Amino acid sequence: MTRRSAVAWVAAAALLAGLPLVVKNSFFLHVCILVFLWTVLGEAWNALGGYAGQVSFGHAAFFGVGAYVTIVLFLKADVAPWWGIPVGGAAAAAFAVPFGLITFRLKGPYFSLATLAVAELTKLVALNWEWATNGSTGYLVTHLPPLRLGGLTVDWETKTPFYLAALSLLVVAMGTIGWLSRSRLGAWLTAIRENDEAAEAVGIDTVRAKVLTLALSAFLAGMGGGFYAFYFRYVDPDAVLNIGLSMEMVFIAMVGGLGTVGGPFIGAVFLTTVGEAMREKFQVGHLVFYGLFMMLVIRFLPEGIWGRVRRAIRRAPAVEVSRGAA
Amino acid sequence: MGALYAMIGIGLTIVFGVMRIINLAHGEFVMLGMFAAFWSQKLWGLDPFLSIVLWTPVLFGAGVLVYRFLLRRIIPGGELNTLLYTAGLSLLVANLALLLWSGDYRTLPLAYAVTPMRPLGVAVPVALAIGFAIAGAITLALWLFLSRTDAGRAIRATSQNPEAAVLMGIDVERVAALAFGLGTALAGAAGVLLAPSLYLYPTVGELLIVKSFVIVVLGGLGSVPGAIAGGILLGLVESLGAVYVSTTYKDGLGYVMFLLVLLYRPSGLFGVGKAG
Repeated sequence: MTRRSAVAWVAAAALLAGLPLVVKNSFFLHVCILVFLWTVLGEAWNALGGYAGQVSFGHAAFFGVGAYVTIVLFLKADVAPWWGIPVGGAAAAAFAVPFGLITFRLKGPYFSLATLAVAELTKLVALNWEWATNGSTGYLVTHLPPLRLGGLTVDWETKTPFYLAALSLLVVAMGTIGWLSRSRLGAWLTAIRENDEAAEAVGIDTVRAKVLTLALSAFLAGMGGGFYAFYFRYVDPDAVLNIGLSMEMVFIAMVGGLGTVGGPFIGAVFLTTVGEAMREKFQVGHLVFYGLFMMLVIRFLPEGIWGRVRRAIRRAPAVEVSRGAA
Repeated sequence: MGALYAMIGIGLTIVFGVMRIINLAHGEFVMLGMFAAFWSQKLWGLDPFLSIVLWTPVLFGAGVLVYRFLLRRIIPGGELNTLLYTAGLSLLVANLALLLWSGDYRTLPLAYAVTPMRPLGVAVPVALAIGFAIAGAITLALWLFLSRTDAGRAIRATSQNPEAAVLMGIDVERVAALAFGLGTALAGAAGVLLAPSLYLYPTVGELLIVKSFVIVVLGGLGSVPGAIAGGILLGLVESLGAVYVSTTYKDGLGYVMFLLVLLYRPSGLFGVGKAG
C-alpha cells in the first residue's frame, strides 16, 4: 500500500466515525450499520471466494456459530459482548477447520455443493440441539450490560454505539483482507485460484492454505454473527443459519468485485440500500434485486463494480492527458 | 415420494449431462409447477392431474426461452459463473413469486383424496399414489424418448462427449436448448404432481433443490438411471429414517449420505456418473 492510499483509508475511516455526530437520523444510521455488517461478511466470503476462488455456499454456518457462541456466553456466563464477539469469531474459526478438512477434498462446484450440505446440517443440529441452542425458539437478549467510556455512559437505545462497533469490525475486516492480499498466503491463494494442480506442483500446501484462509474468513464471519446477535438482540436458526445469508454474502462480494478489498463495501452499499428501500415498500420479496443484479453483473460486469471502477481509475491518467490535448 | 424426487433429479441430471450446468434454479421450476397447479385449480377448477397436460409444454417452452435468452451467453464463462448465475436466477424467481403470491403456506386439497387408500393395511395418500403412477409413466416415456428417438440419442451423445457429437453432425446448440427445456418441463411436471401433497410457498424450491442434488449425486451426476435409483433411495431412506432413527434428523440423513458419496464415491453409488 502506498503512503497516499494509506492516508486516504485512515481519513475515510475517521470521517465515517464522525458521521453520527452530524447525522441523527436513526434509519440512516441503521442502514449504515447494515452496510458495515454486510461489508464485513462480504470481505469474509471474499477471502475464500475471491482470492482463493473457492465458492462457498455455507458461510451462514460460521455466522451462526459466532452468533450462538457470543449470545450463549453472554446469557449463561455473563461475558460482555466486546469479549464475546471475538471469542465467537474464534469459535467459528475453530469450527472452520473440520469444515474445511471435509469440504476441501472436493473442487469447483462440488466443493460449493458440499459447503451447502454442511451448512444445512449445522442448521439442523441447531434446530434440534435444545440444550445448547434452545431449538427453534432461539435466544432473546433483553438488556445489555452498562458500559462507561471516556466518562460517558453508553446509551444502548441509540444507534451510535452499534454504529461505532460495526465500523470497528469493518476496519478490522478490511485491514485483514488488505493484509491478506499482500501477504505470502494471498499469493498462494491466487496461485490456487488460477490453477490448483500447478500451485501444488510448485510446492504450495494447497489444503493448508485453503483451511487457513477458511479459518480467517470464518473468524470475520463469526464476529459479524456475534455483532448481529447483539444488534438485533435475537438469535434463532432461521435468522442466523439460513441459506439465504450465505447467498447474500456471495452476491455482495460478486457484485462489488471478486478478489478486491473495496469490492464488498461497494457491493454492500449498493445491495443493502436497494434491499432496505424495497423492504420499506414491500413486506416480502425485497431480494428480487439481489438476484437481478447478480445476473446482470455476471453477464455484463464479471469483475464486479469495484473491479471495473478500479480498472477505469488506473487507466484514467492517460485518458485525461488525451482530453487535455484536445 | 421417490418417483417424484426421481423426476426432479432426472431433469437436473440431463441439464448437467448436456451442458455441465449445475442449475440452482431447478427447485424454482418445481415451485412454479406447484403454483401453476394451484392457480389452475383455484381459478378454472382444473384438477392438477389434468392440468399437467397443459403445464408441461408451457414449462418446456419457458425452459427453452430461459436457455436462449438468459443462459447461453453465460455458459462459456465457466462452471462457477454459471452456478452463481443460476443462484441469482433462483433468488429472482423465488422473490418474484413472494411479491406476487405472498409467503403464505397454501394447500391444494382434492375432494377425492381425503381418505387414504389402504392396500395391505398400509395407509397411502391417494394424491401421492396418483402422482407416483403418473411420474412413473412420464419417466418411462422419457426413457423411451432418450433411447429410441434421434433427438434422445443426440442428447445422450452430447452428454457423453460434446466434441464427438459435434463431429457427428449434431447441432449441440439445439440439443442444449432441448435438454434445458426438457429439464424444466420435468421439474415443472413434478411440481404439478407434488402440489396436492406438499405445502405450497414461494421458497419451497430451496428445500427441493437440496434434495434433488442429493438424489443426483447419489446416482452419479449426468446419469438418468442413477437419478431414478437415487430418487427412490432417498425416498426410502427418508421414510425409514423417520421411523427408525428420528423424525427430526431425517432430512439430515440425506445430507450425510450426500457428503459421504461426494467424498468417497464421487461418480455415484453405481459408478455411472462423471463427477469427480
